[in-house]
Amino acid sequence: MRKKIITTIFKKELLEVIRDKKMLFLVILLPFFMYPVLFTIIGKVGKSQDDKLSKTKVTVLVNPESEGTPIYKELIKMDNISVKSADFNVAMLDTMKSTIGLKIIEPTRDSLHPYQPIAATIFVNNAKDLLQKRGGQIQKVIAQYNQQLLMERLNSKGLTTEFITPVDVKVQDISSTEAKIGKVIGQFLPMVLLLFIFTGSIYIAIDITAGEKERKTLQTLFISPIKTKEIIAGKFLAVFTVGLISAFMNILSLMLAVFIQVKLMGGTGGGGVDMSVLAANINPMGWMFVLLIIFFTTIFIASLVLAVVIIANSYKEAQSYVSPLMMLILIPAMLSQMPGMELNASTAMVPVLNICLAIGSVLSGSYNLALLGLVTFSVLIYALIALYLASRTFNNESIITGQKVSLKKAIGLGK
Amino acid sequence: MDITIKSDGLTKDFGTVLAVDDLSFEVGKGQIFGLLGPNGAGKTTTLRMLAGLLKPTAGDAFIGGISMEHSTEEARKKLGFLTGDMDLYRRLKPLELLTYFGRLYEVEENILRDRIAHLAEAFGINEFKNQLCEKLSTGQKQRVSIVRTLVHDPEVVILDEPTTGLDIMSSEFVLQFIKKMAEEEGKTVIFSTHHLDEVERLCDQIAIIDNGKLTFSGTIQDAKKTTEQQHLADAFFSLVNA
Repeated sequence: MRKKIITTIFKKELLEVIRDKKMLFLVILLPFFMYPVLFTIIGKVGKSQDDKLSKTKVTVLVNPESEGTPIYKELIKMDNISVKSADFNVAMLDTMKSTIGLKIIEPTRDSLHPYQPIAATIFVNNAKDLLQKRGGQIQKVIAQYNQQLLMERLNSKGLTTEFITPVDVKVQDISSTEAKIGKVIGQFLPMVLLLFIFTGSIYIAIDITAGEKERKTLQTLFISPIKTKEIIAGKFLAVFTVGLISAFMNILSLMLAVFIQVKLMGGTGGGGVDMSVLAANINPMGWMFVLLIIFFTTIFIASLVLAVVIIANSYKEAQSYVSPLMMLILIPAMLSQMPGMELNASTAMVPVLNICLAIGSVLSGSYNLALLGLVTFSVLIYALIALYLASRTFNNESIITGQKVSLKKAIGLGK
Repeated sequence: MDITIKSDGLTKDFGTVLAVDDLSFEVGKGQIFGLLGPNGAGKTTTLRMLAGLLKPTAGDAFIGGISMEHSTEEARKKLGFLTGDMDLYRRLKPLELLTYFGRLYEVEENILRDRIAHLAEAFGINEFKNQLCEKLSTGQKQRVSIVRTLVHDPEVVILDEPTTGLDIMSSEFVLQFIKKMAEEEGKTVIFSTHHLDEVERLCDQIAIIDNGKLTFSGTIQDAKKTTEQQHLADAFFSLVNA
C-alpha cells in the first residue's frame, strides 16, 4: 500500500467534511456543547421547579374532630399549606386540585389501654410531585410529634431512648467517593460516547460510500490506478478521524461542563452529582485507559459502519441501516447497566458490552489491568474483523457499480 | 498498425444474464472507435471490463499491450474513462479535483501543475476553477470531467455515452474534443453512443454488438457495403436484426 495515495484520499475526504456544515455541526458542535448545555439546563430547570414546588400552596382537608389537636396546630404554622376543617372522602379528593386529606382519630384511653395510639391517615395522590412532596412534609410533622410523645412517655417512666433500641444498626459505606462518582458517570458516559462515535462515524461513512454512489463519483475512484486496499484505508482513516474527533469533543464537553459547574456555578450538576468531588477524584491513569479503549472502539465502529453502509446505493438506503446498527451497539451498552453486570473474563469478550463495562470500571476505580488488556485486545480483534469485512465489501464489483447485493454476497460469503 | 486496445475474448456472465459473450476486437493507435448496439447489448459492460471496473468471466483486455487482468493498476494508468454515469465531487473546486486525480495517477507535482494549467486554458476552466463543483452548470461540469479524464495524459480514452443528457452546445463541445484528441494528440478513443450521426462524423472503425455478441467489426464503409445499405442507420438495423 502506498502511503501517499492513502494520504491523498484521506485529505480529500476530510476537506469535503470540513466544507459540509451539517457534518461539522453533528461531529464537532453538537458533542462539544451537549454536556454544558444539558447540565446547565437540567440544573437550572430542576432548581427552578424545586423552588416552585416548595412555594406552591396546597390545601389540607382535616376532619373536624381533629381541630385543635397538636398536629393540627403544627400544620397551620406551615406557609405552603392551607388547612381547612371539613369532612371528606377519597372520591372527593380526587376531583379537587392540589388537595391532601388528613384524618386524625384520637383514641379513647382507659386504664386497660393507656397507650392506645392516635390514628393519623394522610390521603395523598403520590402520582403528583407537588402533593407527594407536601405529603412528605405532613408526615415529617407527625413523625416529630410522635417522637415528642415517645420521649415524654420514656421520661415519665425514667427511661432513655436506649430502652427502645436494643440493637443499634448502622450501615457504613466504605466505597470511595471516586467509586461513587465513577459509578454514576460510568453508567451514562460509555453509552453517550458510543453514541457520539457512532453518530460521527456513520454520517461521514454514508457520505463517502453510498453518498458517493448516489452522486456518481465512486466509479471515478475505482478506475484510477489504485488498489482497493488503498481506497478503503483512505476512507477508513477519514471515518476513524471524524469518529475520534466526535468522541474527544464529547470528553472535552464533559470537562467543560464540570468546569462550568465547579468554577462558575459552584456546585451540584444534573442528576445530583457533586461536580467538585467528581473533578477532584477522576484518576488520570483511569483516563489513560479510557482513551485507549475509545481509540480502539472508534476503529471498531468506523470499520463496522463502513462495511455495512457501502452496500447501500443511496443515502436513503444507507439511512435504513442506521437504526439496526445503532440497536446493535445500544443493546449491549444497555445490558452493561443491568444489576450485577461486571467486567470479567467472559464479558470482556462481548463486543460493546466490554467497552461499557471497562470504561465504567475505570471510572469507578475498580479496574483490573489484566481484564482491561483483554478488553483492549478483543476490541482490536473485532475492529480487524470489521475492517476485513469492509475490505471484502469494497472488493465486490457489484457494489462499486451500484448493483443491488445482499449483505452475505457483499462480504463474499454467497453467490 | 500499432494496436492500443485489444479485447481478447471478453466474456461477462452475471449468473442470470450472459451480458458479453466472447468479444474480440482491436483498435489501432490514434483511431476513434465506435462501439454500437441497442440498449442492453453489453456496451457498458464491455467498456467497464476494458477499464477494469468489472472483472471478465473469461478473456482479457489489453491497454497499450498491458493486461488489465494481470497488471490492473499499470493498465489503468494508460487509461482515461468518462461516462455520463460519473459526476464530480460537489464540495471540491475544479482545481482541487484535478490535482486530486493527478496525484492518484502519481503524476509528478510540477508536471501536474503545468498539465492542469494547460488543460484549464484549453477547456476554458480558469474562469470557474475556484468555485465549488456543485455551483457549476452542466456544461462547465462536463468540461471539468473531460479534463479529469485527461489530467494524467492517458494513451487511451474510453467514453461511455458521453453526450447523454447534454444540450446541443455541450454535445458539440464533447464531439469536437474527441476529434481533437485523436487528430492532434494521437490518443486512441473508444466510445459508445446511440447517436449514429456522431459515429459517422467521428469514427474510423466501429463494432456492433447485440445480445453480448459481436455482429460486425470494421469501417463504416464496410458496414454499409456488407449490408448493401446507403446509410449507417440502415446498416446498423440490418446487422442488429440479423
